[in-house]
Amino acid sequence: MKQRLSVFDTSLKIWSGLVFAFLFAPIIVILVYSFNTGRLLVSFSDFGFESFAAIVTKPAIRDAVWVSIQAGVISAIIATLLGTLAGVALARRAGKWAPWFLILLVLVTVTPEIVDAVALLPWMVFLGQDVGLSLFDNGIVRLVVGHSLFSTAVVAYIVRSRLIGLDESLEEAAADLYAPPFKRFRQITLPLVMPAVLAGGLLSFTLSLDNTIVAAFVQVSGSTPWPVYVLSAVRTGLRPEIAAVSTIMLVLTLGALALVAVVLRRAGDSATDIAKTVGGG
Amino acid sequence: MTTHTTNAPVTMLDTPPARKRPDWLRAPRAALALPAWAWLTAFFVAPVGMVLWFSFGYKPGIFGTHANDKLSLDRYAEALSPTFFTTFQNTLWVGVVGTIICLIISIPFAYWLALKAPISRRGILLAMVMVPFWTNFLIRTIGWQIILAPEGWFSDLLQVTGLTSAPLDILFTRTAVLIGVVYNYLPLMVLPLFVAFDRVGNDLREASKDLGAGRWATFTSVTLPLAKPGLIVGVLLVYIPLMGDYITATVLGGAKGNMAGQMVANQFQTAQNWALGSAMAVVLILTILTTAAIAFFIAWLATLPVRHRRRLVLGDDR
Repeated sequence: MKQRLSVFDTSLKIWSGLVFAFLFAPIIVILVYSFNTGRLLVSFSDFGFESFAAIVTKPAIRDAVWVSIQAGVISAIIATLLGTLAGVALARRAGKWAPWFLILLVLVTVTPEIVDAVALLPWMVFLGQDVGLSLFDNGIVRLVVGHSLFSTAVVAYIVRSRLIGLDESLEEAAADLYAPPFKRFRQITLPLVMPAVLAGGLLSFTLSLDNTIVAAFVQVSGSTPWPVYVLSAVRTGLRPEIAAVSTIMLVLTLGALALVAVVLRRAGDSATDIAKTVGGG
Repeated sequence: MTTHTTNAPVTMLDTPPARKRPDWLRAPRAALALPAWAWLTAFFVAPVGMVLWFSFGYKPGIFGTHANDKLSLDRYAEALSPTFFTTFQNTLWVGVVGTIICLIISIPFAYWLALKAPISRRGILLAMVMVPFWTNFLIRTIGWQIILAPEGWFSDLLQVTGLTSAPLDILFTRTAVLIGVVYNYLPLMVLPLFVAFDRVGNDLREASKDLGAGRWATFTSVTLPLAKPGLIVGVLLVYIPLMGDYITATVLGGAKGNMAGQMVANQFQTAQNWALGSAMAVVLILTILTTAAIAFFIAWLATLPVRHRRRLVLGDDR
């Protein structure tokens, strides 16, 4: 029995090692190929730093990354704000409207990105040109709107499931002590849901940075986000600069992650808890 | 993401229990959902409703994109005609097979991560699962293009070690598309499964073993049933975006990687036939919803005899 147990555990371990190898294979390849001095990314010629230098001389790349970061931050803020409020309402004050609202959230989640994309493009044109809201001709605004939909639903789920698992007695105590609603929300409810809010915000930002399909449709020329720039580069021939940018972005995200982990650990929340929060637990 | 709740003081469908507080203190809380409601109505319900409306129209001429003065279901017939139907079939094949492979890879992996991996390292291991997620998904897919290229280093490695005799020949095939989609959506399966297995914990599994159940019996009648909510979330999180994704398929599948999403995009971007594109989009959503419903019904039917035979009631189902 003891022997079989260890065989089972060892094979699980080997399997997991293989999964990690699978997950990291293309990322390591991209890291290595970002030091390619050749003309095309896919054919490696020599090792060198030319691709990193090329980023500096190509403003289009920097502009694209900057557009993505702006859209990511703003849409994450909007999604986190709307989603947190909705999640609190769903967990604590679910009335007759709640099932309908949940159906709407589920619909937002199950609609594939491409459908959002083809629906938003004519809608933005309609709002911008026919209705005359020139706000919707702005590239960043369009990206923010497009990226915030799915994220809002996700944040609402996360916040709701976090709060629904917590006892309401603290908030009731505050109410009994005559704390006004806003103060009660800010001093009791918000700190309770903070891990969920942070996790949701981080997830929204990530989803926005990665969003290609909606962005490809709603983007306005002049404010092309990074994934769409890469997509058009795939069609015309990829150069090593693209890999260099993603290497830099990978290093930056890993740094940001480490920072978030440190902050949350100080706040008394381990990485496993964060994952549980993201996973809806 | 799950509707599964634990010791909830207020359940979803019930009205909140009566409290000492007056009503006016309670009112603002329900209104908290209003901004999200308004936002999603303006930028989701309205535009998707417009697409639904377009799908009953037609393309009026070479330069028009859509017209709705005559309503019909003709665009749906067109979207399901043999030319386009094969693409829907192909999409469904990639979607179903891709989701199943993700499940097969993730179950042992998430099980190990949640229950067997050293506790002190679980957090960092989990973060490592998410790292691919933080690299642009197009760039990761291009990474696979480099790996799978017939003249690439991986192909050379396979030939040098004698595992294959000819250069690797899977780039721009359905296999490459499958590798790409499994890779891109795997973290979305691992995460909810990890949470689910973590919740099951060691106590109930040990109790099951103490009562004489074997390893397999414990897994199938204790661990897996308790992890069911996570399983459902994982399947949905992988299956839905996978069905709509077409970029992975374009990069790795070339001409063979034709997905339904690509057809929809083509109708809007190149063919300028918004009516047909809208009908295709609606068909895509309906395909996703019905196949997901069928899959859960089959899973429910398949587990019915098992659940009927040994009914385990173990406290609350967390």
